[in-house]
Amino acid sequence: MKTNDLIRALAADTAPARPLLTTALAGLVPALGLALIGVWGILGIRADLIQSLFEPASVARFILTGALAIVGLGIAVGLARPNGQTRLWPLAVLGGITLGLLVWAFVTTPADARQMAAVGKTITTCLVSIPLMAILPVAAILGMLRHGASTMPRLASMVAGLTGGGAAAAVYALHCTEDSPLFYVTWYGLAIAGVTLAATLIGPRLIRW
Amino acid sequence: MPELIDEWGRLLLAANAGDARAYARFLTMITPVLRGVVKARSGDLGPATCEDILQEVLLAVHLKRHTWLPDSPVRPWLYAIARYKVVDAFRARGRRIDLPLEGFTDQLAAAADTDLTEAADMAKMIGLLDDRSAEIVRKIGLEGASIIETGMALTMSEGAVRVALHRAFKRLAVLRERHVK
Repeated sequence: MKTNDLIRALAADTAPARPLLTTALAGLVPALGLALIGVWGILGIRADLIQSLFEPASVARFILTGALAIVGLGIAVGLARPNGQTRLWPLAVLGGITLGLLVWAFVTTPADARQMAAVGKTITTCLVSIPLMAILPVAAILGMLRHGASTMPRLASMVAGLTGGGAAAAVYALHCTEDSPLFYVTWYGLAIAGVTLAATLIGPRLIRW
Repeated sequence: MPELIDEWGRLLLAANAGDARAYARFLTMITPVLRGVVKARSGDLGPATCEDILQEVLLAVHLKRHTWLPDSPVRPWLYAIARYKVVDAFRARGRRIDLPLEGFTDQLAAAADTDLTEAADMAKMIGLLDDRSAEIVRKIGLEGASIIETGMALTMSEGAVRVALHRAFKRLAVLRERHVK
C-alpha cells in the first residue's frame, strides 16, 4: 500500500474520539459508586460518621486520600498525552503533609497508648478492603491511559495506582472508625502502596499503544 | 518557522472537528518530515521498510490525534508520538536507535522528499481484517471512493461505513502490534 493511499483512507475516518478526562470519569464514577455500595451494604457506614466530621484527625483521612485521588487524576491525564507534563511535586507535598501528620500524632499520643493506636482492631479489613475496592478505579485510570498515548507508561501506571488507591481509601474511610493517624497513615498507606506496586508492574503492558 | 506550526495547528483543529479535507492536508504535510526522520536513521533497511515504519507512525498519529491539546503547538506533540513509534518500530526490527527530539527539527531540510514506494506491511495487515472491513479500507484508500460511494457499493449506511472504518484502523494497530511481536 502506498502512503498516499493510506492517508486517503485515514482522512476519511473523522470519527471524533472521547476526551481523556471524560474517558477517565466515565470509568471512575461507576467504579466509585460500586465501592460506595459495597461499603454501605457489606461493611456498613460508621454509625458516628456525622460526629466524626468534627474531629480534625478523622476528617484528615478524607482530605488526604481525596486529595491524592484528585491530584493523581490530574497528573494521570497529563501523562496520557505523549508530550505530557510530569509535574509530580503536588504528590511530594501531599506525602510531606501526611508524614508531618504522622509525626504530630506520634508526639501527641502518650507513649503507652501509641502501640494500641497504631495497631487498632481492623488491620486485616483495611488491608483487604482498600485493594479490592481499588481494582475498578485503577482499571478506569489505566483505561484512560490506554485511550491516550503515554510515552512514560511505567510512571503513568504508578500514578494510576496512587489515584485508584487514594480514591478507594477515601470511600473505605466512611466505614473505618480508626481515627488515629498512627493507624491510618500506616495501614491505608500500606494498602495504597500495595495497589501502586501492582499497578506499576501490570500497567505498562496494558496501556501499550 | 512559526507560521508552519500555526498552519499545522489550524489543520489539526479542523480535522479533529471532522473536516476530512483539512485532515488529509495535515497528514500530507507531516508525512515528508516523518519520512525524512525515518530514512535518516534507517541504515541498511530498504526504502520499503522505511515506508512501513512511516505508515505505522501515521496510523499511531491518526488513532491518538485526540491527545493533542487544542491551541498548543502541534510539533512537540507530533514529534513525541513519532519518536516513540519510530524507536518502537526499529526495536521491533532488532535495532536500537537514539532519536533525540532535535532529530525532528533538523529534518525540515528533507521535507520536500516524496516517495511512491509500495510498503508491504499495511497491506498484509489489511488482509488479516474481516472481508468487509478490508474492502472498506481498500475502496476508500486504493480506489479513492467516498464514504457514501463505499456504502452504496456494500449496501451499508453511511454511518455504518464510518464506524466500520474507524474500527478497522483500531484493529490494524492491534494486528500490527501482534505481528511485530
